[in-house]
Amino acid sequence: MSKRPVAGHPGGSTSPRPLGVILVDPLPVVRAGTRLLIDDRPDMEVLAEAGSADEAVEAITRVRRTRVVVLVGLGLAGGHDAYWLIRTLRERYPTHAILGFGANADPTAISRALFVGADGFVDKNIDPVDFLQALRRAADREMVLAIPTASAVGQIVEGIERRREVEVKLTDREREVLVVAAEGLTARQIATRLGVRERTITTHLARIYGKLGVGSRLAAIRMASQSGLVSVGASE
Amino acid sequence: MIGEGTAGAARLIVADAHPVVRRAVRISCDALPGLEVVGEADTGSALLAVCQELRPDVAVLDIALPDGMEAIRGLNDRQLVDIVVVLTDLTDGPSVMEALRLGVEGYLVKSSALPTVGKQIRRVLDGERVISPEVQRIAVRELGAFARMAREGSEVRATLTPREHEVLMLISAGLTMRQMAKRLGISPRTVETHMAKLYRKLDVRTRVQAVSRAVSLGLIELR
Repeated sequence: MSKRPVAGHPGGSTSPRPLGVILVDPLPVVRAGTRLLIDDRPDMEVLAEAGSADEAVEAITRVRRTRVVVLVGLGLAGGHDAYWLIRTLRERYPTHAILGFGANADPTAISRALFVGADGFVDKNIDPVDFLQALRRAADREMVLAIPTASAVGQIVEGIERRREVEVKLTDREREVLVVAAEGLTARQIATRLGVRERTITTHLARIYGKLGVGSRLAAIRMASQSGLVSVGASE
Repeated sequence: MIGEGTAGAARLIVADAHPVVRRAVRISCDALPGLEVVGEADTGSALLAVCQELRPDVAVLDIALPDGMEAIRGLNDRQLVDIVVVLTDLTDGPSVMEALRLGVEGYLVKSSALPTVGKQIRRVLDGERVISPEVQRIAVRELGAFARMAREGSEVRATLTPREHEVLMLISAGLTMRQMAKRLGISPRTVETHMAKLYRKLDVRTRVQAVSRAVSLGLIELR
């Protein structure tokens, strides 16, 4: 607990520029607590905070740094949820380290975050020293998995595997239909939402069932949710 | 080799090239109640045969056996056992990832786990997935690359038409253009068109590049 980073020692003239952290989480108290932890260390600092994915995208455009870690709370929900944000940041900022961040996240959520481009996942419940160490390692381009039970790694691998199996089979449009269908809308409502005819949606759904080898919408949604393709109910 | 069996005991088969390792597993398991080694094998194919005959609950095997990884696939495909535990000194990234992708319930490193292997297997039987700490570190390191491959692979795959995908499979099987045409019942000229489109989507110029890119994206598996 009393471990001090070497870089912060007096006279350490070669100390690199502090590592910059961007905090994204819907809960202010989580951001505040995490900020306290980070700002207490001489070798890292919080560059920006955001409570939503859109705010985060906006805030990051103002960051001019190379050694950056973005912590994305997986609890971000809505159309632009945590996974949307991770995917978007991955494409725009290939050199930033992006970490999923959550409490007691199940392996499906973690594998989903990795699948869309996260460089790892950090659990809110791990020891603060381990938490800070995970940020440093992520900044050094290491894959990080800081979770209480590391044997979940097998389940995470399975999650990615399942996700690929489902995703590999579906076209972009079919995936889109399935995501909306998971909200429990009727074919007519899905059609209205996506701006196409009802008939087109039923055709898509039938094709999706065929590809996934299931007989009902419920089974298709269950499969897609197990693979992390869609969220059913509250996330995190 | 066939044990009489205590009622309710979990039955194990051990596959390893070294008799001394098999013996160590046997001693370690037999010392615990509810665990019983009922058979041994010294190759992957022998393991499959023994499992077919004895229908054990658990297969413990060394993936360093020449056909070790293949044996796991065989056990899975034929649903011969409920639980597969790897006991090996092979801990390179690709081996670890492949075993985990095949869904093994345990990955134990001989040098550290052998003295307590019975207890580790007990934990697996109790529903825990037991992975030696050094293997976990390696798996995490590989996980990022694997996730990236899965993501990129599924993005590319989604752009392929069913026909282009078929052609990709046939290319990887080593068929000539003429053979592909015959197999698919279309003209060589049409095959050529599919191949050109496929190459463009994979961003490659030659057959070999196409196959190697498809493998790295996880679109096809070379066994």
